[in-house]
Amino acid sequence: MNDQIRLVLNGAPRTLPPHQSPTTTLLDWLRAEGLTGAKEGCAEGDCGACTVVLEGADGARTPVNACLCVLGQLHGRAIRTVEGLGPQHTVPRALAEADATQCGFCTPGIVMSAWAHTREGGDPHEALAGNLCRCTGYRPILDAMARMQDDGAAPPAPMVPDSAKFGGFHLPASLDEALALRAVRPEALVLMGGTDLGLRFSEHREHPAQVLCLLNVAEMRGVEVRPTGLRIGAAASYAEWLRACRADAAWAPLVPYLARLGSRQIRGLGTVAGNLGTASPIGDALPVLLALGAVVEVAQLRGVRHIPVGEFLTGYRRNALVPEELIVAIHLPRPPEGAFLAAEKLSRRHDQDISAVSLAALITFEDGVVREARLAFGGMDATARRCAPAEAALRGRPLDDGALAGAGQALDFAPMADWRGSAEFRMEAARGLLRRLALRHAGLPAEIFA
Amino acid sequence: MTGPLFPQGGPNMGQPAPRYEGRAKVTGEARYPSDVRLPRTAHACLHLSRIGRGTIRGFDLTAARAVHGVIDILTHETVGDAIRQTPAIYQGGYTSDSLLPLGSAEIAHWGQPIAMVVAETYEAAREAAQRIVVTTAPHPSPAVDINAPGAETRALEPMMVQAGDFDAAYAAGPIRIDARYTTPAQHQNPMELFATQCVWEGDRLTVHEPSQYVNSVKFGLAEQLGVPADNIRVISTHVGGAFGAKGFLTQRTALVAIAARRLGRPVKLVATREQGFTVSGYRAETRQHVQLAATRDGRLTALRHEGWELTSRADTVAMGGASMTTRLYACPNILGRVNTVAADRSTPGFMRAPGEVPYGFALETALDELADRLGMDPVELRRVNDTQTEPVGGLPYTSRSLMRCFDVAAATFGWSGRSPRPGSMREGDWLIGWGCASAYYPAQAGNSAARVRLTADGTAHVASAGHELGQGMTTMMAQVAAEELGVPLERVTVSLGDSDLPPAVVNGGSAGTASVASAIMIACDAIRARLGVPRDAPYAALRAAVAASGLAFVEELGEARAHGRSPESLPDMYRGRALPLGGVELPDRVQFAMGAQFVELRIHRWTREIRVRRAVGAFAAGRIINPRTSHSQLLGGMIWGIGSALHEHTDIDQRNAAYTNANLADYLVPVHADISEIQAILVSEEDRLVNQAGVKGVGEIGVVGVAAAISNAVFHATGRRLRDLPIKLEHLL
Ligand SMILES: Cc1cc2nc3c(=O)[nH]c(=O)nc-3n(C[C@H](O)[C@H](O)[C@H](O)COP(=O)(O)OP(=O)(O)OC[C@H]3O[C@@H](n4cnc5c(N)ncnc54)[C@H](O)[C@@H]3O)c2cc1C
Ligand code: FES
Ligand code: FES
Repeated sequence: MNDQIRLVLNGAPRTLPPHQSPTTTLLDWLRAEGLTGAKEGCAEGDCGACTVVLEGADGARTPVNACLCVLGQLHGRAIRTVEGLGPQHTVPRALAEADATQCGFCTPGIVMSAWAHTREGGDPHEALAGNLCRCTGYRPILDAMARMQDDGAAPPAPMVPDSAKFGGFHLPASLDEALALRAVRPEALVLMGGTDLGLRFSEHREHPAQVLCLLNVAEMRGVEVRPTGLRIGAAASYAEWLRACRADAAWAPLVPYLARLGSRQIRGLGTVAGNLGTASPIGDALPVLLALGAVVEVAQLRGVRHIPVGEFLTGYRRNALVPEELIVAIHLPRPPEGAFLAAEKLSRRHDQDISAVSLAALITFEDGVVREARLAFGGMDATARRCAPAEAALRGRPLDDGALAGAGQALDFAPMADWRGSAEFRMEAARGLLRRLALRHAGLPAEIFA
Repeated sequence: MTGPLFPQGGPNMGQPAPRYEGRAKVTGEARYPSDVRLPRTAHACLHLSRIGRGTIRGFDLTAARAVHGVIDILTHETVGDAIRQTPAIYQGGYTSDSLLPLGSAEIAHWGQPIAMVVAETYEAAREAAQRIVVTTAPHPSPAVDINAPGAETRALEPMMVQAGDFDAAYAAGPIRIDARYTTPAQHQNPMELFATQCVWEGDRLTVHEPSQYVNSVKFGLAEQLGVPADNIRVISTHVGGAFGAKGFLTQRTALVAIAARRLGRPVKLVATREQGFTVSGYRAETRQHVQLAATRDGRLTALRHEGWELTSRADTVAMGGASMTTRLYACPNILGRVNTVAADRSTPGFMRAPGEVPYGFALETALDELADRLGMDPVELRRVNDTQTEPVGGLPYTSRSLMRCFDVAAATFGWSGRSPRPGSMREGDWLIGWGCASAYYPAQAGNSAARVRLTADGTAHVASAGHELGQGMTTMMAQVAAEELGVPLERVTVSLGDSDLPPAVVNGGSAGTASVASAIMIACDAIRARLGVPRDAPYAALRAAVAASGLAFVEELGEARAHGRSPESLPDMYRGRALPLGGVELPDRVQFAMGAQFVELRIHRWTREIRVRRAVGAFAAGRIINPRTSHSQLLGGMIWGIGSALHEHTDIDQRNAAYTNANLADYLVPVHADISEIQAILVSEEDRLVNQAGVKGVGEIGVVGVAAAISNAVFHATGRRLRDLPIKLEHLL
């Protein structure tokens, strides 16, 4: 078993000294090492000034917020910072040439997001949603992005994600090991991507005595595409889920929605299991899981349970896990042939903002009319949940604006008012999102960028 | 977008030289004050008041002291009289507010620093700061905002503007508009946090701090600490954005300085994003009342603009934007008034286009209301009331190109394709709105000095304590020296952001370029005069002249005195008192940069989501030294305008005036995707009067008018007139 953190920094393997605290954030550590390119602008994952890139063994480049990661989580990973690109690299040069920097404080983070983007591709707006720039007005940054190319650089040699323990920080590599640890250490903080928990390390600089980090548990890793659906490992990031959705037409309707969950950096770290663990009423994965009828696989030493997600979510930030249990995987059934799948999110700011209201819908048809509708809303109640009256209102009707307006009148919510929106606003917004389904169903542009 | 990435030089525009420090910034090599590493640094963390106005009854520091690594805890009980009370900038001093740091048991507002922990590590300092137990007696009913019952309203008589007889003219006006507007509290939120590092060597203090005015920090600290100013050096080489937040000396600096003195070690403080909301000033919320009267052909006959601005109990701060909105259009009968409303809040301050953004929103929206009432095109309404003579004092503008900006921007935007009736432009489920507004910003300058050295090897070096906030100061300094002397640009080096260099104006009020460029020009003139080289002499001749002089280098100091400042004011610049002057404050003339903003937005019929699809701005601001960096400033400004209209809003807790969204997840600033197409056009304009350099400044004007253009576009899309910012989805349901 490893008791020292090993990682690859800018291509060079590093073994950290035994006394290195595993809950020090990557950002604090890098800056203390003299790599001050990555900046702190918020310590909460909101600004992207701290962005660095995880280099996958397969060449994938995942930008992450260095302020949210802790060193223990990064055992076995390869990290590249702006210093690791070198002064002559074409990505920073393109940004300088396009005058894409003013004060420059956001720039190293933007360089790293852009460097990852040259390999990962996709919409540049989306690639940069997690990088705030207060100066340039963004336009020049996008112009620079359009002129960049993948440098073709190979990733550093991979490390094996083995089991490790750094003081009270446990990094088991198998499910058995994880469950055994969980049984003897029920007080340990269960850590996955850390995008919810990370704030305790980054914003509050806490050092909890016992941490159980599950990222390396073999049984929890990866997204598996099966004929019946997806098996999303508890340790699989949103980025991995999104990649699987992009590769398979059945899941394509989820792509624009998932691409608005946090930012690329947050999706590189965050997991569906974490969304279920936190069980926030505005967790964006939850309406999708509800609409598709997902099943949560949880385990403890005594055995495994398969819990339908609607039963898993038991209340405001509460779930059905008992203290010794861990989420192992989420099973997402494939939508039936010919079904209509859609997911909508309304937030005050289009990108990189928490939902005010969200909606996921799975609708099947018979003879041109709705056979079954599953409509799940986030932000409308103490927990994300389906709305039976609205579902019933659609049954037997063609999916058009009239039917959806009717479903809107049947909503049985009494939403909370907070500063993201008043109760009336949430009701109106939920109705608006329902009506937007008609456009989507008709294949009309419902997207904000259409 | 195709074509060049940025505008090329044109009439009265210099070369689009690339950013001087661009490479250092994109490689991560640029060192910001928080990146500077000093050996044996101890780390500080502030503890801010978690009650609103009230009194500290006592501290229990036991738990905090018990945290491993804690070295020192400063409170009003432990600092004693180490820091002296000094006047705030508004009373002719240096500080951004007049609260004495850790001065007493009185708490003036939520978020006031009431303790600071110093520890071996930041983690320990932070943990200890959280463990400080404070017993307090909160005031039962603090006044939390501009509408609070306990807030005190005061009319600022010196800010009154009057011409003709407003009351009579308004009463007789054939068409009248009478409308009230509000704008919210907003925070600058530069990406860089408020950092300070202090290190003493003997009795000499060095401060590393991002600043728009190193000399305000230097001379203010000297007063506060009672040490000679000559012993203090303030370094601020790179500043990660400022926007007014880093203009003057805040309370934190003296605390870090005395902590470092107590410890005999360097001390570093980086305030968190949340703490930053009360570390410095912010844009105060306002209420405004506009009344307009006009003839049926759109000529203004009466204009009244009155504003109420929130301030703190400790300081009377007002941006007084009515002094400008009353001087934009021809009108015989004018009344402008400004009031402050003092509440139990931290002292507000400057935020990019401080008076122009809120007051410009109100007046330019009111004009749109008038245009709608008259059935007149809003551009034509501005044309009918355009003037070359300022309406209150009858003074000339040094130059004014408002309608040229409108014509250029309107043509680019395609404004003639607008169907005027509200709600008449649609695309599927999207309602389309087009709106426009004027932009304006006072052209100002302050006393500044610069030293230029021409070396025998043909290189030149320019030095001034101006600041690189990202606006392009460094590049501009190099360019002006290169142009004036005829030295190739790549042979010019620059030093700035250091109080040991010749002093420059505070980098605010868009006055930095005009002021420092003028000083550099004077220094270059002196060098040429000393060498006997004529203005357009080739580089070879210049080099030959230095060689012939037998000197290793020739060096001259240029001191530029701003128009309107007395000769006696020059020494003040060497005491950290160089503030901008201009705009409407001069006895003989009025100086404005002007522009036109056009916006197209879409509002979804069902969800009311608002998307700005494109924005076109055209701006005339005198000489443009570098069209590339200027263009970047304007684009950034326009995005600010969009944020200001649609997102930015500091939420205030009605119980204690806490800022409840003091983080970047909840205080929304625009992100990449918030705008699809944005265009800033530089309209050429020559102004030989405004200052030696002919420069008006572009740092702030880009923001002005955008919010009005957006609210006017919302009206055009929906027929709903929204007079309260920010515009929220709920407002449109
Ligand atoms: C800047 C920012 C933006 C964000 N934007 C969004 C957004 O748009 N939409 C959204 O829904 N969320 C958003 N989030 C929240 C967060 O990303 C998600 O909730 C994410 O799913 C959490 O996953 P994680 O792996 O990071 O969880 P962690 O923080 O590691 O854990 C979260 C919780 O789940 C528990 N947990 C994790 N794994 C397991 C397991 N296997 N078994 C049992 N318990 C477990 C943990 O103990 C903890 O209580 C955002 C967060 C940040 C910081
Ligand atoms: S510091 Fe802002 S996202 Fe990490
Ligand atoms: S350049 Fe200043 S924040 Fe981006």
